[in-house]
Amino acid sequence: MNDYLTSLEHESVFIVREAYKKVKNLALLWSMGKDSTVLLHLVRKAFLGHVPIPLVHIDTSYKIPEMITWRDQYVKDHNLRLIVGQNKQALADGMGPDKGRLVCCGALKTQALLDTIKENQIGGLLLGIRRDEEGSRAKERVVSPRPEDGTWTYKDQVAEIWNHYNLHLPQDVHMRVHPLLHWTELDVWEYIERERLEIMPLYFSNADGKRYRSLGCWPCTGTIDSCATTLDAVVDEIRNTKTSERAGRAQDNADTYAMQKLRSQGYM
Amino acid sequence: MTEFQQRKIVIVGHVDHGKSTLLGRLLMDFGKVPQQTIEKVRKTCESRGVQLEPAFFLDAFQEEQEQGISIDTTRVNFEFEDHRFLLIDAPGHLEFLKNMTTGASGAETGILVIDGYEGIGSQTMRHLKILGILGVRRVIVVVNKMDKSGYSQARFEEVASEIRGHVEHEGQTCLSVVPISALKGENLSAPSENLSWYAGLPLLPQMVAHTTATAVSIAEESEHEPLRMVLQDVYRFTDERFYAGRIISGTISPGARVFFSPSGKVSTVEAIETFPAAGLNKAVKGDSVALRLKDQIFVERGEIISLPDQTPEVNNEIQAKLIWLNSEPLNWAADYLIKVGTAEVSCRLEPSNSVFSQVGNGDFVDVDIKMQKPISFDRDGRGVDKLVICTTYETVACGAIATPNPSQKVQKTKSKNIVVEAGFVKREEHEERQGHRGTVLWMTGLSGAGKSTLAKALERRLFNDGYRVAVLDGDNLRSGVCADLGFEPEDRAENIRRVAHMAKLLLNTGMVVITACISPYEKDRRLAEEVIGEADFHELFVFCPIEVCQQRDPKGLYKKASGGQINDFSGLNAPYQPPTKPRLRLDSSTMSIADEVEEIISMMKAHNLKPAPVPIGARGDLVGKP
Repeated sequence: MNDYLTSLEHESVFIVREAYKKVKNLALLWSMGKDSTVLLHLVRKAFLGHVPIPLVHIDTSYKIPEMITWRDQYVKDHNLRLIVGQNKQALADGMGPDKGRLVCCGALKTQALLDTIKENQIGGLLLGIRRDEEGSRAKERVVSPRPEDGTWTYKDQVAEIWNHYNLHLPQDVHMRVHPLLHWTELDVWEYIERERLEIMPLYFSNADGKRYRSLGCWPCTGTIDSCATTLDAVVDEIRNTKTSERAGRAQDNADTYAMQKLRSQGYM
Repeated sequence: MTEFQQRKIVIVGHVDHGKSTLLGRLLMDFGKVPQQTIEKVRKTCESRGVQLEPAFFLDAFQEEQEQGISIDTTRVNFEFEDHRFLLIDAPGHLEFLKNMTTGASGAETGILVIDGYEGIGSQTMRHLKILGILGVRRVIVVVNKMDKSGYSQARFEEVASEIRGHVEHEGQTCLSVVPISALKGENLSAPSENLSWYAGLPLLPQMVAHTTATAVSIAEESEHEPLRMVLQDVYRFTDERFYAGRIISGTISPGARVFFSPSGKVSTVEAIETFPAAGLNKAVKGDSVALRLKDQIFVERGEIISLPDQTPEVNNEIQAKLIWLNSEPLNWAADYLIKVGTAEVSCRLEPSNSVFSQVGNGDFVDVDIKMQKPISFDRDGRGVDKLVICTTYETVACGAIATPNPSQKVQKTKSKNIVVEAGFVKREEHEERQGHRGTVLWMTGLSGAGKSTLAKALERRLFNDGYRVAVLDGDNLRSGVCADLGFEPEDRAENIRRVAHMAKLLLNTGMVVITACISPYEKDRRLAEEVIGEADFHELFVFCPIEVCQQRDPKGLYKKASGGQINDFSGLNAPYQPPTKPRLRLDSSTMSIADEVEEIISMMKAHNLKPAPVPIGARGDLVGKP
C-alpha cells in the first residue's frame, strides 16, 4: 500500500496516459504556476522523462514580468515546445482590467485560449485545476468536453464512473482534462517538496515579507504577508492557514457567482 | 501502510434527507473551511433571508443555492482526529442519478442518510442498490432530522429495523445505524442530551472505527488477489518498447513471467521503469507502471496482464447487472461500447430473461452482453469485474460482471433427427438400491497440484466405505476417448465437454464421480456445471503454488515446457483461470492427502451427500432423497 501522495501521483499519471492515448493533439496549459508545473512533472513521470506534447501559455500581457522571464528560461533549460497565445486584437483595442475584471478575463484569457486552441487544432488540454480552489471547480469532472465557444454545460455533465473517462471527441469540441482535480493546495506543495521541483521564486517571501500564494495578472493578483522563504516554510504555512488560496485573486470576488460565470463561458 | 491513508466515503440518500447539510455541517464544525468561505456563505444566506445553510459550502452553483438542491457531485477532504477522509457528496434527485453514481464510484464505504421523520424514500432504496452494483458493500446508516421527529426513540427504532432489513436483503453490510440532527450538529462528534437513549457512539467516531476496519480488510483481501494490470499504451520514445498501465490488483516484480489476455502472449518482466530512474523491485495495487519486457511483443491497449497460473477469463459474451443512467432509454437494437479495464469493444445488449422491457434512467436490468470480439475480465467483485456501457460520447450505464454464459449451447446436436429415448432404470432406483446418492466431485488445478493423487485416495476411501465410485482422470481419458484432442483452447473445451457428459452418464446410475482434469478455463467448467446440473456439481479447487508444482514435476512436464518443448502448458504459457467460488479450496502444499480427503468427506456430509455407510446392495434409508 502506498502513501497518500504516491496514490495521488499514480492516479494522475493514469489520467495523463489515458488522455495522451485517446486525444489527438493534446497540449498542456501551463501558467508557470505551482499546479501546472506539478502537472508538467507528472507528464514526465507518465512518459519516462519525455514531454511528448506542447505547452500552451496564454499571455494576457498583464502577467507579472518575472513570470515571463522565468518561463522563457525554463523552456530553454528543459528544451520544451511552447505555444504562446494572446488576444492581440483586444489588446490593440485597449482591453484591460479597467474595462471590468470579468470582461477583461473573458477577452484576454478565455477568448485568447479558445483562439489558440482553434489555430493550433488542439484536441485536448491538460489543466492543473483542483476542486479545492473554488466552488465551481469543485463540481468539475476529470474530463470535460467544451464545444468551439468553450461553454461548460455544468448542469448536465456526463457520467464518469470508476476510471472510465469519456475521451472521444465530437467535431469542433476540445477536451479539458484535469489530472490534479482531486489534489489540494497542500498536496501540491508537499509534492513539490517531496519531488524537489523547480518552482517560480515569486512563491517565496521577499525582502518586504510578502509572497504570492496564487499567481496571475499583476493588476488583479495580490501578495500575502509571509515569512516563508523556503519550501519547508511554505508547506508549513499552508498546513496551518485559515484563509483561502484565491483570496488575492480579484476576479473571484467580483460578484457572488463570478467564477461560475467565467468558467461556464470557457475560462480555465 | 501510512496511518494517513485516506478513507473514501460517499454520502447518499433520498432527496432532501440532508446529505449536503450533513457534509456541510461536518466541514463547518470540524473541517478547515477558510474564513472567507464561511463569510461568503453567510452573506449569501443573509441576502436570501435564510439561516446559515451548511449545504451551501458544497452546493456552489447559483442554481443549486437558489433551488436548495444539489445538482452535481463533489468531494472534499476532511480530517478528524488524525484520520483523513474523502467525503463525496452525491445528489439525490433521480434526474441527477448519473452524478450520484459518478461520485459513489470512488467510494469504499457509504453513509446512507434517511430523514427520520419521512422515513425511507424511493431514492433511499435505489441508492442502496447502486452502492451494491458499484461494490460499495459496507454502509453506515444515519437517521437524520431527529429534531423534527421529537428525538423519538420509537421512531428511530422503527426506521432502523426497516433499513437494516433492506441492507441485508441487498447482500450488503449495515455497519451501524446512528440517530443525528445534521442541521443542529447533534450526535456528530459528541453524544447529544436529546438522544440520551442512544447507547452507541456518535457518527464521527463510528466513521473512524468502521472505515479503519474497512481499510484493514481491503488491505488483507488485496494481499491474496491475483495480479491484474490493465494495459493503457505501448510507448516507443526510443528503440525500446514500454508497456504502460495500471495495477488493479496484486503485485508485479522484475523476473515475473507475465501473460497477456486475450492475446495469449507471454513474456518476462525485465524492469519496472520510472522517472527519475529508481530501479523499482516491486509495484503494487493502484500503481501506474511502465514495464520493460524481455521480448518486444506486439500487444495493444485493452489487454490484461496477469501471472500465467492466475489468468482472467476471456469471452465474447458476459452477463451483468446494470444500472441505467441516461434519460435516453436502453435501445435493445442499438450498438453500444462496453469498457472493461482499458478494453473497449462494440456490443449489443439482450435481456437475460428474454423480456425486452423498457429500461430508463434509474432502472436496474440483467443483461447478456454480446461483444464483437472477446475481452478478458474477472467477476464477482474481484480483479477487473467492472464495466461501463457507453454511446460514442457518453457513459449510459454501469455494472458488475456476473456468471458468464457458456459460449456454446449445451445440448447442441449436429443432426436434427435425434429423438431422446426415455424409460430406462431411473437414477433414484439406482440410488435406492445402493443406499447412497450420486454426485460429481469436479477437481480443477494446475498440473502437478495433486489432483490424480487425491482422486486415488478419495476413491479408495469411498470404495472402502461402501460407495459406488468412479474416477475420470484427465490423462487416462486423453489416451482413449479423447485421444483425438490436443491442448488448444477449443480442444480443451471439447475435452471438458466429453468428460462432463461421461460424468453425467455415470451420475445417472447413482455413482459418486470424481473427475481429475486441469480444466483451466472458467467457461468450460461452467459448461460442465450446466451439463451435470448445479445441484450435483461440486467444484474442488486443488490449489498449489506453481513453484511447488514445478519442483514436484511428477511427469517431467514443467521441465519440458520451460525448455520450449510444450507450448500450451497451463500456468506457464497457457492460461489457468482459478475458480472464483469453488465448493472447496484444498491447498496441497500445506495439507496432507488424508486431511484433504477428510475435508471432502465433511463437505459431502454438509451437503447431505453421505449417508451412514451401508453394505453394498442393502436397501438402507436414504439420508438425502434426491
